[in-house]
Amino acid sequence: MAATLVAALAVTTAAACGDSGTGSGDETKVGPATLRFSWWGNAERAELMQKAIDLFQQKNPEIKVTPSFQEFEAYWQKMATETAGGNAPDVLQMDFAYIREYSDRKALYDLKKQDGKNLDLGDLLPGLKGAGEIDGKLYGVPVGGNTWGYIYNPALFTQAGIAEPKEGWTWDDYRKAMATITEKTGVHGGGNYVGSYYNLELQLRQEGGLLYTEDGKLGFDKARLAKFFGEGKQLVDAKSALPVEKGVQIKPAHALESDLIAGDLGWDNFMARYDKGAKAELKLGPVPNDHADKQGQYLKPSMLLSVSQKSEHPAAAAKLVSFMVNDPEVGKIFGANRGLPPTNAQRAAAQLEGPLAAVAAYEEGLKDKFGKTPPAPPKGAGTLEQAFIRIAEELQYGRISVDEAVNQFFTEAEETLGS
Amino acid sequence: MSKATMTADRDAAVRTTGSTGPRKRARLPGDGMAGYLFLSPWLIGILLLTLGPMVTSLYLSFTDYDLFNSPTWIGLENYEKMFSDPRWLRSVQVTAVYVVLAVPIKLAAALAVAMLLNSKRRGQGFYRAAFYGPSLIGGSVSVAIVWKMMFSDDSVVDKLLLGVGIDTGGWAGNPDYSVMMLVLLAVWQLGAPMVIFLAGLKQVPRELYEAAEVDGAGRWRRFRSITLPMISSVVFFNLLLETINSFQVFTSAYVVGGPNGQPAGSTLFYTIYLFDRGFGDYRMGYASAMAWMLLLGVGLVTVFLFRTARGWVFYSGDSGDKR
Repeated sequence: MAATLVAALAVTTAAACGDSGTGSGDETKVGPATLRFSWWGNAERAELMQKAIDLFQQKNPEIKVTPSFQEFEAYWQKMATETAGGNAPDVLQMDFAYIREYSDRKALYDLKKQDGKNLDLGDLLPGLKGAGEIDGKLYGVPVGGNTWGYIYNPALFTQAGIAEPKEGWTWDDYRKAMATITEKTGVHGGGNYVGSYYNLELQLRQEGGLLYTEDGKLGFDKARLAKFFGEGKQLVDAKSALPVEKGVQIKPAHALESDLIAGDLGWDNFMARYDKGAKAELKLGPVPNDHADKQGQYLKPSMLLSVSQKSEHPAAAAKLVSFMVNDPEVGKIFGANRGLPPTNAQRAAAQLEGPLAAVAAYEEGLKDKFGKTPPAPPKGAGTLEQAFIRIAEELQYGRISVDEAVNQFFTEAEETLGS
Repeated sequence: MSKATMTADRDAAVRTTGSTGPRKRARLPGDGMAGYLFLSPWLIGILLLTLGPMVTSLYLSFTDYDLFNSPTWIGLENYEKMFSDPRWLRSVQVTAVYVVLAVPIKLAAALAVAMLLNSKRRGQGFYRAAFYGPSLIGGSVSVAIVWKMMFSDDSVVDKLLLGVGIDTGGWAGNPDYSVMMLVLLAVWQLGAPMVIFLAGLKQVPRELYEAAEVDGAGRWRRFRSITLPMISSVVFFNLLLETINSFQVFTSAYVVGGPNGQPAGSTLFYTIYLFDRGFGDYRMGYASAMAWMLLLGVGLVTVFLFRTARGWVFYSGDSGDKR
């Protein structure tokens, strides 16, 4: 009954939240402690995680770690209620889109206090340094990094009689390639790139802009979004992109995994996943760009580790975080499971093979071209990304016009970022 | 729970304590205490798990509670915002369409199956179990996944439809059909109302049919003039239950459409949006307000159904048949 629903909702909200207490005495002294460690992932990652934790406990016998994990969405639901109930885990896996949400709400511990003591950040890759820092405080340490790339099936390019993507190909080239491949091979040229927020970010960065400004506002105006959505609409009309209903139906699988498209823009480390599913041999290529001087790509922390403000053992927690990013053995255990490892020592130790080696080579080649990692997205960014996906989808279904899509997004942005 | 049943409960409690004690029918002050003591698991349960949270959620619905910070009182703002929130309006519309489609189709199907299974046949037990089965696994995630796969293009349903010349291109990815797909899932799980209908049908006196047959009434006439009126109270009960349940469809819709109500927001049911607001956007105040609006909405519909029921529901007491 409705009453039950109300009740169920209220049970989870009933717990009031008090002020956060900090531990007494020297915060940097590590004593015997039991740490709760939560992260999102699947059974495969759980196995790797357990290996890493066992290793940590071997080296730090006075610290006990109890792990727990969920799927991504369930994880954030649980994390929100646990944090609200004052029952957050000591160490938690953090997403770049949520870090400000949590730090703004004073749920995270400033790891700067442990820097140089229990936490060693010296070996982080240059592109990842400073990620997780907000207003001079350190709320998360990246445990992996990845960048946007173009994953494609070279055989279809050959079959369509066009050259494989080369450095300096433009967005126009990209769209033309999609159309030609669709026409010549019968396989769709690609997914509709306007369905992803990060393609808009890439274009904005190539133009010298940002998705979000430093003060957490949108980094683009209605006209710019209208242009972006307009291009997507054209791809739909020209039928050169995978029809949206197809993409929706096969979820959570990706069109590349199912050999339905010739190529798509996405996070480079997904290459390994697609490669496993696809029959075709996949390659990783440069992203399209209309501005030769600006690459637009950056190294994004795929996930971070944060410590709860309420943790009674911040020193031990910092030690665990440090271990997870620095220990070469851990790098070897995880490989690219969390994105490529974040530190030089771990990257050297990780034995990357096949598609993962390709990803590593890809990032190595871009090393000097990476732009600055943007500031952590504002509170509500996760919600807004979902709204973007939904609105772009409705546009592709032809349920709304480009103008309506733009207006809807800005209305939602105002509501989400305004509060 | 109605007042009548509560009084009945109390009467029962008094009778029990009265008869078990050595002093027959004597009412001492301690008796009440013992009663409450025995009731305490239920009382504590309802206070802590139902009433308490309900009051809290009512309070939160007037605040901007975001799970992290202490709630601030904002009065009716959450409720006012709803009516200009396009997604809320969409969720109301999607849910209404679903209720209007799913409830009558499911009830008609349940009644039809119940009537088929009411006559004596070989393997009757098997058929009853077979039809009841799906409702046992009703809320399960795996069924919803299978359902989605069945209705994707190039899958079973699509091929069958193509076989008879209808090309829909798969329902799962088509916003015009996605709700219908969930309606069919609900209809498939007709077990619970079917069993209740079956019980109702068993109560209809055979003499009535025999008499009608003698008078020359056909099948349809017998159904309309005997079966329906005789089981009208059962129909009403099922209608009420199914309506209330349908307003709260969640699991299947969440599995098929996710928190965004894919495809294109066509499966953004009320509860999905409520859940997404609360746990996706961390707007628990708004989600609480939505929950109370749902309670209000379902309450109004129920009252409406009760009103109309006066005109078409007959209880056995009305005809003087008390058995």
